[in-house]
Amino acid sequence: MVWYSVVSGANDYWSIFTAKSWVFGWLIRVVSQVTFFALIGTLLQSDEQTNFLLVGNAVMVAGMGATFALHQPTSERGNGTLSLLIASPSRPVVVMLARGLYVVADAIWSALLGLAIVGPAFGLDLPMPRALLVIPLTALVGVSAYCFSTFLAGVIIAHRNINNLVVNTTIVALMALCGVNVPVSFFPDWLERIAELLPITDGLEAIRGVLAGDSWSSIAAHVGGEVLAASGWLALALLTFGRFIRAGQRDGSLEFAS
Amino acid sequence: MRAFLAGARVQLRFMTAYPDSLIPFFTAPLFTIVFMLVFKHAGRQDLTAYAAIAPVFIALWWLALFNSGWTITTERWNGTLEMLVAAPSSFGAVIFGRIAATTVVGTVSFFEAWLVARLIFGEKVTIHHWGAFVLTVFATLAAMAGTAVAMAALFVLARNAVTFSNSASYPFYVLGGILVPVSLLPHWVRPLSAVVFLSWSADLLRGTLDAAPIHNFWPHLGMVVLLGACGYAVGLAALRVILVRVRGSGEISTT
Repeated sequence: MVWYSVVSGANDYWSIFTAKSWVFGWLIRVVSQVTFFALIGTLLQSDEQTNFLLVGNAVMVAGMGATFALHQPTSERGNGTLSLLIASPSRPVVVMLARGLYVVADAIWSALLGLAIVGPAFGLDLPMPRALLVIPLTALVGVSAYCFSTFLAGVIIAHRNINNLVVNTTIVALMALCGVNVPVSFFPDWLERIAELLPITDGLEAIRGVLAGDSWSSIAAHVGGEVLAASGWLALALLTFGRFIRAGQRDGSLEFAS
Repeated sequence: MRAFLAGARVQLRFMTAYPDSLIPFFTAPLFTIVFMLVFKHAGRQDLTAYAAIAPVFIALWWLALFNSGWTITTERWNGTLEMLVAAPSSFGAVIFGRIAATTVVGTVSFFEAWLVARLIFGEKVTIHHWGAFVLTVFATLAAMAGTAVAMAALFVLARNAVTFSNSASYPFYVLGGILVPVSLLPHWVRPLSAVVFLSWSADLLRGTLDAAPIHNFWPHLGMVVLLGACGYAVGLAALRVILVRVRGSGEISTT
């Protein structure tokens, strides 16, 4: 079931993008997005700020792309395939998670490319071989954000009309809260605690630690925090997704007839 | 004029019926928070005007790309394009009415961004040159609407319109200098920025919030109007091509 879902998702992906539209459309957008925020550091005349914003917003691309997975259940509804999926003996949340893996893979790859292309242009130091750790850590951030977005997808599955609204506001809210543009230590204590519960925050801290040459124990603690956050959101998604589907079945809000 | 107003009325009803069309009004305050946080963290509250202006451009550009830009395409999807083309009123006037309504509604983001700066960060945005500010806002809205007409027409003709509208946000935010002035971009980028009206209007709007006199106000304002008019002219020409093509082929809904 997982394999078929992954293959089906991959087919979705290649119907969305051609190699040309990916490079000249999506990749240019990613590079511009990272550049846009890195330029704020230039405005502030601070290399430290430039690097902070560049790394934060490059990694945020992984979180942003994974959040796009929120579109998936609603597009299943739009295509009229959600009812078939729910009627089948498989668990919809597992199918959804597997089907959207291409979104996460694309998000992680885009984030790494953004960092690799824009980083050198702004003189970002990528110390080797330590910097290679950024690859699995960015993957962790993407997966963690994906677990979070799958949970949200369940919450809004009966409200297709606000899907894009939730996707867009979630992305900018994560940009504001997860230490992407300013350290979370800059927030009041209560807000810092909330930020630590969200995906991206700890994983990004770990990536910054790797690039800054922090101690391995400190990096491992942040990795642990991100794994914990990812597991928490995944558990929540697995626990609640079915309930949201059943609630939609009961009140008819899943629009089986569409 | 009646067709224009009818188009505007329909668009306002669409916007209230579809929450997705209100996205920029939810993201503009959040972007203001992001930019204000960065400047506050850096101890640069003197850049408050920058943080308050950029989200407005983001909101207006989003509306042009995702709302106005899809005006004709959604008419096709809804099956109403045939009736619109067959009606005795001007097709262009109805479309422009819809786009103008969307653009004007976008000005709400001004108040949102400035309210966030004031209420959350305690920073006041002061307009030092009122006349220049009002003229720049009008010119910017007109240019945005003109550009949106071009997008609406070209999106019907282009095969990759979805990819374009999903990708054309940040490249234009950089080229348009909506947050970081074009003068800080590499030299080779500046000729590209010069043909993006956002770059002229962002500079002007920031200038109106600065106590210092605005240099070259009229030439810069002229560029905003000129580039907006170019967008409008391209849009009208593309609209004519579309109408001639679909009337000739009889494929209004499927071209």
